[in-house]
Amino acid sequence: MTGLRRGPIVLVGAGGIGAPAAMALAAAGVRALRVADDDRVELSNLHRQILFGDADVGQPKLDAFAVALARRFPGTAVELHRGRALPASAPALVAGAAVVIDATDNFASRFLLADACALAGVPVVHAAAVRWSATVMAVAARGRPCYRCLFEDLPGEGAPDCVSAGVAGPVCGVAGALAADRALRLLAGDASASGAVVTFDGLRDALREVAVRARPGCPLCGEPRVVRDLDPRRYTANACHP
Amino acid sequence: MGTTVETTVRIPTPLRTLTGGADEVKGQGATVGAVIEDLEKRHPGVRDRLLDEKGVRRFVNIYVGDEDIRFLEGLGTELKGGEQISIVPAIAGG
Repeated sequence: MTGLRRGPIVLVGAGGIGAPAAMALAAAGVRALRVADDDRVELSNLHRQILFGDADVGQPKLDAFAVALARRFPGTAVELHRGRALPASAPALVAGAAVVIDATDNFASRFLLADACALAGVPVVHAAAVRWSATVMAVAARGRPCYRCLFEDLPGEGAPDCVSAGVAGPVCGVAGALAADRALRLLAGDASASGAVVTFDGLRDALREVAVRARPGCPLCGEPRVVRDLDPRRYTANACHP
Repeated sequence: MGTTVETTVRIPTPLRTLTGGADEVKGQGATVGAVIEDLEKRHPGVRDRLLDEKGVRRFVNIYVGDEDIRFLEGLGTELKGGEQISIVPAIAGG
């Protein structure tokens, strides 16, 4: 894989989206992945977290992830980052990345990664899935529009999250594949990879792309630029893990 | 007597519990806000999922065609009839 940017692809979340994304990237020839997660494999994960099997239940996801990936793709080096993305750890997590894939399971982490990547000048692909829906949005390095142009801030209440809503396994597969696709396109310098949100409706097999416009008052990429650091107070609502 | 303006509203999966599973419904109204009020009559709860006291909830995007209504006239965005309204809510699972 020859890209315009060097460094590992950083995958935040070794779960339902992270697994198919990692497989697609490794199969495409990506030689270095940095993967972050803080969870252990649970039985309820197995329908969508396709790198794991029954024997992995109870194991740290990172360990099981690295073993399973190495078995299929020995040419891809996997650097493990134990722990979830937090304001204190996010800068180091995204530092030097060619591109970051946000495959996290809560809004706080999504906004944190959006901010951390923008501040570091690293491109990011946000991928999410709930029930039968998936959304994917890629943001170029220091690019506009960003995730905060699409969704202004953390939901206070009422938005579907990973605790209240289940997710269909194949929908995660689609989200992971789309995330990998967008990441590779960003690496290849394809400007059309960003600037839109892709939605997948798993009940109708419908894929739709809608343009996102940069918001002049966006606190992350607009003016005045409000987000200039990773103040922990910005990332406290609606997290899956308190 | 005024002309009835009808639009198609695409319903994302998280909201289909309110539309009996329908992924697309018809709405009547000359503005986006009026269409939401019309939907509320037949699908109670829709308005609350989309709007709060300030307007469109910050984790929801509403499009007329391919245009985000925030860059048009918001809930006052006028409709001629035949447009497609799409709703894209923030989701976070993975």
